[in-house]
Amino acid sequence: VPARWPWQDARSLELLSGSPVNCLLLEKYSAELVAAANDRGLVTLAVLTPGADVAAEVKLALAAKVTGIVLEGDFPEGTGARVREAVGGAPVVELSARNRLALGSPGPILGTYQGVWPGISAQDDGAKHAGPTASVWIDTNTGFIRAARAWGGATIWIANQPPPKTVITGARYLQVYADAAISGGRWVIALDNDFAGRLHRGDADAMSDWRRLSTLASYFERRPEWRAMREDGQLAIVQDPAKGGLLSGGILDMIAVKHTPMRPVPKQHLSADALAGTTLAVNVDNDSLTPEQKEILRNFTRSGGTLLTGPPGWKDPTPNAGSITLEKAELERLNDIWRDVNNMVGRRNLGVRLFNVSSMLSNLLAGADGKTAVLHLVNYSDYPVENVTVHFLGDYRKATLVMPDAAEAPLEIYPTEEGKGVDIAKVGICATVRLEK
Amino acid sequence: MTRREWLALISSAPLVKAAETNAPAAPVSIARMASYDEDATAALAAMFDQLGGLERLVRNKSVTVKINMTGGTGNRFRGMALGQTHYTHPKLIGATAYLMGRAGAKRIRFVESSWGTGGPLEEEMLNSGWNVRSLQSAATGVEFENTNALGKAKKYARFTVPGQAYMYPGYDLNHAYDETDVFVSMAKLKNHATCGVTLSLKNCFGILPASIYGDSAGVDEPNEKPVDGRLKVGHEGRRQPSKSAPQELHFGQNHDPGYRVPHIVADISAARPIHLAIIDGVETVTGGEGPWIRGLKPVKPGVLLAGLNPVCTDAVAMAVMGYSPRTTRGTAPFQTCDNTLLLSEGHGVGTTDLKRIEVRGVPIEKAMFKFEG
Repeated sequence: VPARWPWQDARSLELLSGSPVNCLLLEKYSAELVAAANDRGLVTLAVLTPGADVAAEVKLALAAKVTGIVLEGDFPEGTGARVREAVGGAPVVELSARNRLALGSPGPILGTYQGVWPGISAQDDGAKHAGPTASVWIDTNTGFIRAARAWGGATIWIANQPPPKTVITGARYLQVYADAAISGGRWVIALDNDFAGRLHRGDADAMSDWRRLSTLASYFERRPEWRAMREDGQLAIVQDPAKGGLLSGGILDMIAVKHTPMRPVPKQHLSADALAGTTLAVNVDNDSLTPEQKEILRNFTRSGGTLLTGPPGWKDPTPNAGSITLEKAELERLNDIWRDVNNMVGRRNLGVRLFNVSSMLSNLLAGADGKTAVLHLVNYSDYPVENVTVHFLGDYRKATLVMPDAAEAPLEIYPTEEGKGVDIAKVGICATVRLEK
Repeated sequence: MTRREWLALISSAPLVKAAETNAPAAPVSIARMASYDEDATAALAAMFDQLGGLERLVRNKSVTVKINMTGGTGNRFRGMALGQTHYTHPKLIGATAYLMGRAGAKRIRFVESSWGTGGPLEEEMLNSGWNVRSLQSAATGVEFENTNALGKAKKYARFTVPGQAYMYPGYDLNHAYDETDVFVSMAKLKNHATCGVTLSLKNCFGILPASIYGDSAGVDEPNEKPVDGRLKVGHEGRRQPSKSAPQELHFGQNHDPGYRVPHIVADISAARPIHLAIIDGVETVTGGEGPWIRGLKPVKPGVLLAGLNPVCTDAVAMAVMGYSPRTTRGTAPFQTCDNTLLLSEGHGVGTTDLKRIEVRGVPIEKAMFKFEG
């Protein structure tokens, strides 16, 4: 559980009592801090950035007895390999631009320093809405994490930092952490200067916020089975994760805001098996598919599946180094696809339908044995949401509400038109419904 | 505001020549209810008794209740529950259903034209955080219908404006407004950016189906999958409703929403009479009708109103808000619009003359909660 550690004194490590954080990213590494961290069994990673003499920096870091190295930024090609060779068996984590991620690689961690700062999107003047119609847009990294995770088994680290000159509440940190965690990713905890300063001084409010963040991290870490589960639902999104899947605000995030459960299917893994159990599929960039892959989709429709293909001439955009969101023109084209998807999905229940969740994002995950599923909910508003309703498909006979700061509680299951339903009385920042057959 | 100030306010209000001075009057009941945690059933029951009893109105009758769920369900003011700001509160809806069931209503159908969708009203209620199962079990015969499109029927019902209509000779509406013996407008006590106030009359602007009167309405026939509001037809007069429905009388002559919407509402009040008006002013907003209006503020007037005539009920409600119900354009809350109440009075629907309206329960001056000027 990684965190950027802004302090140099050993005493600061006392904050980690009762916290699952066990991996410190250090831009500076005092001997005192590293020794104390090693004594506590913590992993310490020296953060190197482009521009310096990497070989010399690595030597210095190893001499300070850190556990490993983080290469953060866009280094020349081959730097990672050279550093790995230099450090022997010590861990090396690369936090690169999204467009340089080694997607599908066998490494245990795939990291990027690029991410949007999750939360309800505000207009320039701070207003959240423009008219009676407006529903909120939520900035999120979930689509990217899902796309990247679908291609390989690596854990995704998203190491974006708090936006500067912005007041960030304790609740917002929880939302940012949960935004990554509900999709099986890990946000590299990073505190703004104000929060870090207050925490270091032992300010009571800051300590309380830190404890809440630790509780939330523990909530996910105590349940590793969640991270092993995969996206469930009857809607498949066939996309090249190395293209549009790397972007935030793309088709995956659009569907997420609609609360339609979906399975990202990397075109590299497109097969009949990958589409098993789905009834709808969106082929985002038809021209990029091979004839064999197109045939798989044709067979999908022949067997009763509904396929939506991107408009002719549409090419799934590839992000550049400096940008992880869509350009305006691309967004307008994507909106065409989005409208078609929206019409196609309509009011259908594709695994789960949620009500009263306009300020939330969700993720439906299922275990490999098919007996258990979890529905994660993250509330991005500043207020708890009361009376959330969940209508789900599947022969689940037991539903349990799991929350970070409350005991597990059984939920009454009742029949609905399309399956079954449960009601959740209140969601603070995060809640999970566990469904069992 | 003191009683003396109040009397000064109503006596100084200009009279309107167009107003029918002999329009009918009916009593209005006012009750205090500080919060939704209080017993809404008891409060409403007492009010209905003050009006002569609910049984007399609904026994063995079909009832349609138009509630106020304006704007999308995701559009919340500071994350607050919708019923605490600009929607009719579900507790009052449940209490009304219970009381109507107890009074012998054979069917109680709650309706609203949900913003931008023709989907089931139950889903919009769920999206509002309401417990639909609980509302449904409040009485036997409770139903819900989204009247933004054709809904569960095969054709629209036509309502003709009696006498000389202001805007349209008639309106095509969802069948729920026709297949009913009793029509109830269950509104919120609040301001409105276009109409000055949203009360039981203005609440019924929302009975117009967007399938016919919406921006995305079909040119010739209704579009049964509406996706937006009624700006171009209703507010701005930039297009006609679907040709299948009665067309605007003087199309192209007026594009001022402050003129158009009050006149349409007044037409509707004559075409589809309201038998019972209920106004939720327990918790609400001032400065506009929903979170999309800048400067909106949540307030707690702690008051409920009910009456058997919508114009009289709205007139008393305006007085409770600190306004004269006979105010004309240019004066708060009608700075940029016409007074819907006076226009309805002009159709002979009811009187705005407070001296002719008997108030039962809590007197106006004791219920008064001054809204923004």
